[in-house]
Amino acid sequence: MNIIGRVFQIIEKRAMPKLLLLIATLSIISIFHLQITFANLGNALSNLSILGHETFPPDFSVVTKRASWAHPPCESSTDWICSPAVVGMVQTLEIAFLSTILGTIFSLPLAVMSATNLSPQWMAQITRSVLAALRVVPSLIWALIFVIIVGIGPLAGVIAMTLYTVGYLGKLQYEALEGVSREPLEVARAMGLPTWQIARYFAIPAAGNSLISQMLFMFEYNVRHGSVIGLVGAGGIGWYMQYYLDPFKMYDKVLALIIVMYCSVITIDQLSLRVRKRFIEEDERIRRPKWKNLLLPSDETT
Amino acid sequence: MRKTILKAHTADIGFQKEEPLVRGLDLSLNQGEIFGVIGRSGLGKTTLIRTIAGLVPLLSGEISFQGIPVNSATRGSIGLIPQRLGLVSHQSVGYNVLMGALPRANLFQTVFSLPSREMRDATREAIRSVGLSDKSLESVNRLSGGEQRRVAIARAMVQSPQLLLADECLGELDAVTAREIIHLLREIADSHGVGIIIVDHNPARASTFCDSMFELRGSRLLTLNEDDMSPQSGLPQVEGAQ
Repeated sequence: MNIIGRVFQIIEKRAMPKLLLLIATLSIISIFHLQITFANLGNALSNLSILGHETFPPDFSVVTKRASWAHPPCESSTDWICSPAVVGMVQTLEIAFLSTILGTIFSLPLAVMSATNLSPQWMAQITRSVLAALRVVPSLIWALIFVIIVGIGPLAGVIAMTLYTVGYLGKLQYEALEGVSREPLEVARAMGLPTWQIARYFAIPAAGNSLISQMLFMFEYNVRHGSVIGLVGAGGIGWYMQYYLDPFKMYDKVLALIIVMYCSVITIDQLSLRVRKRFIEEDERIRRPKWKNLLLPSDETT
Repeated sequence: MRKTILKAHTADIGFQKEEPLVRGLDLSLNQGEIFGVIGRSGLGKTTLIRTIAGLVPLLSGEISFQGIPVNSATRGSIGLIPQRLGLVSHQSVGYNVLMGALPRANLFQTVFSLPSREMRDATREAIRSVGLSDKSLESVNRLSGGEQRRVAIARAMVQSPQLLLADECLGELDAVTAREIIHLLREIADSHGVGIIIVDHNPARASTFCDSMFELRGSRLLTLNEDDMSPQSGLPQVEGAQ
């Protein structure tokens, strides 16, 4: 038997080579289809050098100097309070907070309607489709749409993030509600209670810990994404980044803003993790990240 | 004379019309009576209880509660204590017991979570009568199995249904705790005229407090008499019955 025949024989016998072959084939097809050529990498090093030169060291004046052009105007007499980093980050947090609260208020009834243990199948199908439609459009696109509709500013950000939160949180919530034990709901049904009372007094309290934990997770998520939507004019720290990027290309200031954002997100993640831990099921083990793992990629797999 | 509250007539119970778990059920339960149902696991005792509670549709025949189909029964008139008790986890004893009062709360009280004084007093009284006054603010997850069963019974006492369905609510309890719970059930039946159907895996124990005993054998619910319950009958006799 020739070599090629032998290779095919091995491939036929073992699953792993088959899988590797499939992955390699799909990768090659994708590279050709996307017309990726390595010629583009020719200027990468010089571009990287220019970017590095213009970015480092980060210009932390964005944390100390007053931004007279802040929108909405900052009234405080203390300069750092009115700096782009602080004003932008506070706006991002406010957008994230409002959209999480509004998103939860709107998503909870939709989640109850989507949970098949609380609502009829046909209703669950309809509301799940609504939630999927809200989720399928990224928050950045929602922000673009609402910047056009209501104009540049935090309002567009709040509406965009709220819609995305409803879609995303609604899915998490109905899954948590469907995970509630059948028996308390049957006790309520045997009593003859209507669905809204079963949801209000039996299902939501039973899933309460998960629902609160998900809400906090969503707040973290909204803080991270609230930074991105600012790039299209929907308020927050992203809006200030965009101000420095276009047309001035002040990469050193942008890097300083990114560092501020990074530190804020890590702090919120840690706080949220501590709060969420209180609401997680007693038997559910969560792995608490260590500080070094937040700064460096972890090599642990579990 | 005691009024009949539950009547089953040639009722087929189960999930498949061709293969019902219980065939041709005929039953008549009066106020204040306790019926015990025994039978091997997997024969359909829980499905029987869930069907009488109106949670599983009947395959054929009829089960009526005070003359109307069970699934149209008056709000709060049927109480259920499922096998795993159906308590709202992570909520306090007080919260769980108060849930029994929900069927008679008006819209304003349920929307704004404002139970009336009568509801709160009934809750306190039920918690006291099951001996959990010192644990009324404790989460039900922290209670022992016996204490959780008392919470479920207290919830049923607050609800004060006319028919109480208890699915193995005495399971895995020590003899002393089981006796206490039996005493509570007997009191509910005698003093409030509640009709009770209880599923128990311990026939000897069930026969000590039930007015009538039934065994689910094959797909038939058979009435057991004194002889059937004797040690010579072949039915399993379990410790802690007396």
